[in-house]
Amino acid sequence: MDPIWLATASFPVLLVLIFLRVPIGLSMLVVGLFGSWQVYGSTAPLLNQMKNLAYSQFSSHSLSIVPLFLLMGQFATLGGMSQALFKAAEAFIGHRKGGVGMAAIGACAGFGAICGSSLATAATMGQVALPELKRAGYAGSLASGALAAGGTLGILIPPSIVLVIYAILAEQNIAKLFAAAFIPGILAALGYMLVINIVVRINPKLAGSVPPMPWPERWQAVGAVWPVLLIFVVVVGGIYTGLFTPTEGAAVGAVSTGLLAWLRGGLTRKKLQEAFESTAGGTAMVFMIVLGAAAYNTFLALSQLPQELAGWVGAQGFSPYMVLWAILVFYLIFGCVMDSLSMILLTIPIFFPMVSGLDFGLTPEETAIWFGILVLIVVEVGLITPPVGMNLFVIQSMAPDISIRDTYRGVWPFVLSDLIRVTLLVIFPAITLVALRL
Amino acid sequence: MNKLIYGLSRSMAWFGSLVLVLIALMSVASIVGRALAGFGLGPVPGDFELVEAGTALAVFCFLPWAHLKRGHAVVDMLWGSFPAPMRRVLDIVADGLMLAVWLLLVWRMSIAMAEYRHNNEVSFILQMPVWWGYAASMLPALVGLVAYAWRLLESLGLASPPPGFATAAGGH
Repeated sequence: MDPIWLATASFPVLLVLIFLRVPIGLSMLVVGLFGSWQVYGSTAPLLNQMKNLAYSQFSSHSLSIVPLFLLMGQFATLGGMSQALFKAAEAFIGHRKGGVGMAAIGACAGFGAICGSSLATAATMGQVALPELKRAGYAGSLASGALAAGGTLGILIPPSIVLVIYAILAEQNIAKLFAAAFIPGILAALGYMLVINIVVRINPKLAGSVPPMPWPERWQAVGAVWPVLLIFVVVVGGIYTGLFTPTEGAAVGAVSTGLLAWLRGGLTRKKLQEAFESTAGGTAMVFMIVLGAAAYNTFLALSQLPQELAGWVGAQGFSPYMVLWAILVFYLIFGCVMDSLSMILLTIPIFFPMVSGLDFGLTPEETAIWFGILVLIVVEVGLITPPVGMNLFVIQSMAPDISIRDTYRGVWPFVLSDLIRVTLLVIFPAITLVALRL
Repeated sequence: MNKLIYGLSRSMAWFGSLVLVLIALMSVASIVGRALAGFGLGPVPGDFELVEAGTALAVFCFLPWAHLKRGHAVVDMLWGSFPAPMRRVLDIVADGLMLAVWLLLVWRMSIAMAEYRHNNEVSFILQMPVWWGYAASMLPALVGLVAYAWRLLESLGLASPPPGFATAAGGH
């Protein structure tokens, strides 16, 4: 059978399996192995390939950063910094219009700076901020929408697990990607705050407010969050300046957040067991997808489909921006139903060669980093778009009194702000790349 | 029997996380050693290799627990609209596929382990036999085989999880 045809046909087969709720990683693994077998035409090379398949993926040095970041996120949760971050943000902006909601966003951004996962950020901040927002008289739709959107800051603000995976697939420098993600991440937080402010101005009934706090108390509240700042500066700064490798940086992060949790009395036996189990679950999930994607991408590479497709797109004379927008829209649509990591692992090997062949007036490295940040943002939008938005479910599970309809209704202004931000970043690549040109 | 399998998988998840903590501590020690190179210290020799073997061990330890917990990423958008018999069949198919693929992978991994042992290949820095890493991961991989088989039995209605066991929604 013609390998190109085989690879093209494998997409619908893969999608059917996934929509039949076969785990995504397993679906890719099965289709990938079967496809490779067909391309080889015999079992011997396939059996040979399978000898190292699992072990080589699981023992990959660059991927070892993922479980360490997940562990760091768990320890950060146990360290109780989420409460302190929220109090500090509330002390400064709580009395403004939509101030408590904006404080929740600010706290999410702060937590995102020591946590590389969106779901962990949504879960942790949801626990702290949902009751506070309720007490301040916030409507359920606004509260859950804000926290679901705020959760994505966990990934958008470095460190970020999705960026690590992108860096590996596109063979880019993790430190530079982290640096480039910083300004767009801050813009995301400011955008979400602006959304809350505008929504509350339009409909003041959606939110109450808290009285302003005297200045000495404000500084005291800010003083309580210094460990977060310190850990962020050491981990991200250390990686960026090359003082240690990204994996070592993740190790430093895990040890320092673990130490913080221990000092603050968060490491009880039961909580530690839960944290370990969450780390185990998160890591296993990522590596199952990684394993499946490795098998599937080997098959795609054997079939030559990515090269053919990149060549075809290049020959059509589409404008570079047309191709870029098509890819971003593709992610937005698939993000409504697919998990962000699976999407990236599945599509970057195809899209990246396509995009790196286009001329945006940037150097190849700049194009790769800019594209990575854009992809990061659009796949994260998928976490808050119905029907399948993991962050929405996380918040929903913590606030059963808020209906999923209300949550869906509350989140769309935040999705809109994401779309505006992506558009800005596409039009002005310099916003992303300025951090690299310094 | 179900208590044994679930208990073992769970303890392995804890053990794997403990391995991660040790990797993290070792990496920090290595950084400190490197920073103090002027004082006669140095990085932990072979830290790269230890991280790799340790991560593999941890991941193999995590997989059975995640599977029993139903923790893998799925798209369940259409699931609610499937009739109950179809769901049952799909569960059996998914669990059967997992077991079959894992059986294949573990079989091939054991061949690789035997080959590395036979040709005495060692790692670059520590001169540690490569097959050791495979052997350490083989044990949890075999537990995985048992857990996947058990999960298939559950889907077939021939076995059940321990009382009070709750599966988790997937996420990352």
